Amino acid sequence: MAPEAYGLFPESAPSAADPHMPLTNFDEWGFFIDPNRCIGCRSCVAACAECGTHKGRPMIHLDDMDRLYSPQTAPTVCMHCEDPICAQVCPADAIKRSEDGVVHSSQKPRCIGCQNCELSCPFGVPIVFSGLEQMLKCDLCYDRTSEGLKPMCATVCPSQALLYAPKAEISRMRSAQPVREFLVGGLSVKTKNALMVPDPEAPLFLDAALLIEGDF
Amino acid sequence: MSLSGRLDLEARPILGASLTTLALVGLVALGSRGGRWLDPALLGYLVAALFACFGVAYRYWAWIERPATRMYFGHTIRTLRSKKVLAALPRMGLLALDQLFLQRFIGKRSLKRWGAHALIAWGCLLAFAVTFPLVFGWVRFTSAGLDASRYQAWFFGFPAGAFPLGSVAAFLTFHMLDWAALMVVAGCALAFVRRRQDEGDSATQRFDLDLAPLLLLIAVSVTGLLLTVSISFMQGRNYGTLAFLHELTVILLLLSLPFGKLFHIVQRPAQLGVSLYKAEGEAEGRVACRSCDEPFIRANQLRDLKALYATLDLGAAIHGHGVHHLDLCPRCKRRLLAKAQWQRMGGAFDPFADLPEWAEPIDDPQSLRS
Repeated sequence: MAPEAYGLFPESAPSAADPHMPLTNFDEWGFFIDPNRCIGCRSCVAACAECGTHKGRPMIHLDDMDRLYSPQTAPTVCMHCEDPICAQVCPADAIKRSEDGVVHSSQKPRCIGCQNCELSCPFGVPIVFSGLEQMLKCDLCYDRTSEGLKPMCATVCPSQALLYAPKAEISRMRSAQPVREFLVGGLSVKTKNALMVPDPEAPLFLDAALLIEGDF
Repeated sequence: MSLSGRLDLEARPILGASLTTLALVGLVALGSRGGRWLDPALLGYLVAALFACFGVAYRYWAWIERPATRMYFGHTIRTLRSKKVLAALPRMGLLALDQLFLQRFIGKRSLKRWGAHALIAWGCLLAFAVTFPLVFGWVRFTSAGLDASRYQAWFFGFPAGAFPLGSVAAFLTFHMLDWAALMVVAGCALAFVRRRQDEGDSATQRFDLDLAPLLLLIAVSVTGLLLTVSISFMQGRNYGTLAFLHELTVILLLLSLPFGKLFHIVQRPAQLGVSLYKAEGEAEGRVACRSCDEPFIRANQLRDLKALYATLDLGAAIHGHGVHHLDLCPRCKRRLLAKAQWQRMGGAFDPFADLPEWAEPIDDPQSLRS
């Protein structure tokens, strides 16, 4: 079968292990999130629980925006910040970012379950399990992505609200483009993962007024 | 440039580590009665232990200097110096039993992990409890007076019981390090098997951080056990070489304590302080999210985190209406991200809008009504 037959990514070499699955890598592939596309099927939640680094516990958040007025849901995975606030506020120095830009769950020997990270994350991602005295979070399915496979959630998302794709291809695939800088009030947060917006030149402004004054 | 500058050392941790090491030297002098009862065969271990003490204390002091760590450490110290100490100490005792001794929270992570960790932890602590007092001259054994068939134990220069040579007590006591070594080897083997089976750990583990300490512990234990094998079954053959190898591995382990994974032994008790902090916060009450009005964050933690944000140059995380980002619950932060994207999309594919009242129903020719 010709490589072109593999669909969206003709230049990607098929994996030796599975000829139908193109190999991925951290440098050339990116994670693109488009909450507008989410249809609330919860496939990502089920798939996330299969991840080897947090077995049986889904780390993806699928939130109803406002169930009374809208069926809209929004998936949130870790954005993998360049200078993670969760790590800065960690008293145990337990949260580390590997060289490939992935921010990992807290290190098991160190985490003391204080919840600073859970409360400080700009995107509301980490979860502290008080019985385990440990914070777990999305680590971009490190057991899969470090071996050239896609993250579980992106593999199963039917509407591609969660998309793991070559960065070079994304401009061709979507009209919206990735933004990787966010303004939390006046604080700039740069991330590895991207959110899709029509005008990616300006950072995405997260203002609580949107929640408090606006309605869905 | 000064030596500390070249080594990138900081003044306060150096002072703290120096004082801690001096205190240990003082205790060694006191316990060994001016060094009289120090075992010359163990002097190499003593020097390595003092270096390890300095390194561990330096890292500990540097660690509690971090603003986020100071937030909790300061609270624990304040609690212990206030009247609350009467309620706090019994609580800390119970927590220490549960979290440090029984380590039940590790069992909740995984039973296999708990088994491996318990064997390693208790084996190491038992070995430390035997080795350090012997090395520091705090514990020694002599013949009980003129009776060569009885052993007398001494602790800090005071008699601490006698037992007959060849008794069960003597056998158990003199082989204490063997029991510890067997526990550590079994625990490390279990840890290796578990790491190999665990997809997550296989992907995230690092040789220097996760596997090297296990290998070092096995090396220490096996060389230690070989000393017993040499004496008991090989007429002491190769004892000198084995003793040198054992000393080398132990010194390597001691010198790696400040840098590697085993530093968590001195970090972990911080969990007790965090539990106290949480309990105090629960008593004070939880503050509601500024968006959804659901109580979510303990009042003391909100206060302290805001101060921490200011210290860490994160103070700009303040939205309109004076809402701090910490005033929003994690769920509202996630919803805010989606909402901001939706706004940026200009309402295209607006999932939140109600249908306009003027929208006409679309004719469906297949419908029974038409």
